[in-house]
Amino acid sequence: KLNIGVDTVQHGVEGLTYLLTESSKLMISEIDFQDSINVLGFSDELNKLLLQLYLENRKEIRTVLSELAPKLPSYHSLEWRLDVQLASRSLRQQIKPAVTIKLHLNQNEDQTAQVLQTDPSTLLHLIQQLEQALGEMKTNHCRRIVRNMK
Amino acid sequence: ILDDPDLKDIDPTVLKHCHAAAATCILEAGKQKADIAAISTCLEDCKLDKERIEQFCTEYQKNKDALEILLGSIGRSPLHITDVSWRLEYQIKSNQLHKTYQPSYLVTLNIENSDLGSHPDVSFSCTMEQLQDLVGKLKDAAKSLERASQM
Repeated sequence: KLNIGVDTVQHGVEGLTYLLTESSKLMISEIDFQDSINVLGFSDELNKLLLQLYLENRKEIRTVLSELAPKLPSYHSLEWRLDVQLASRSLRQQIKPAVTIKLHLNQNEDQTAQVLQTDPSTLLHLIQQLEQALGEMKTNHCRRIVRNMK
Repeated sequence: ILDDPDLKDIDPTVLKHCHAAAATCILEAGKQKADIAAISTCLEDCKLDKERIEQFCTEYQKNKDALEILLGSIGRSPLHITDVSWRLEYQIKSNQLHKTYQPSYLVTLNIENSDLGSHPDVSFSCTMEQLQDLVGKLKDAAKSLERASQM
């Protein structure tokens, strides 16, 4: 329909892809983008179109690119249940509280679920440790780094 | 027991039987959480004299708590969380994507399995919001625990 050879179309698509992914990856500003494509010698109208294409799609392209980075299984959700063990084969008349947890993780589009258990004192310890972790982002040290790295 | 010099005059088979009998008796008593009266009655039925019964019961009483703890720890359960480690990092770039600027947490749950001794730890990454969700749910569980223990 375009009346051009297959090779030309392929090169065109590849070139466009490369232009958009590299620009999105580096998150270059409008001005830098314009300067870069001006060297190619296209018409003003085409340059404007390319810039628009870049700005409209870069967020989505970046989302797709972020999936390619090396990753560990990531947290999806957590379910919990309180149990009290009353007896076992080796000991009767017990009162042993436990918290049973089902941890849902995502790894490369697969969802895994693991069943884990912990006792009340460990649970409180976990909460304390993780709250400390959350608090770290608010410390001066972290705030300074975040500010200086933009 | 077979190497004990005080017992070397006794036939080893008899010794083994005695040991097995004593062990069975102690474990059954521990399992059923029997009190001293029940044990005494049981031993009386076995025609042991009063002095021996008293000695046995005193020794049993001394070790009762340790025995219960040991018996309670036998058995299967899901993998047990013993501790947690975390790492906070600030992502700047990857080879696929530059200027990411996002904080990210890496959480490791240390796991112990009573059957096999140890088990690989469970590690996962999460964002700040996800960690807040996780901690929120754990706090719900803890609150439930507190309410249940007051009933």
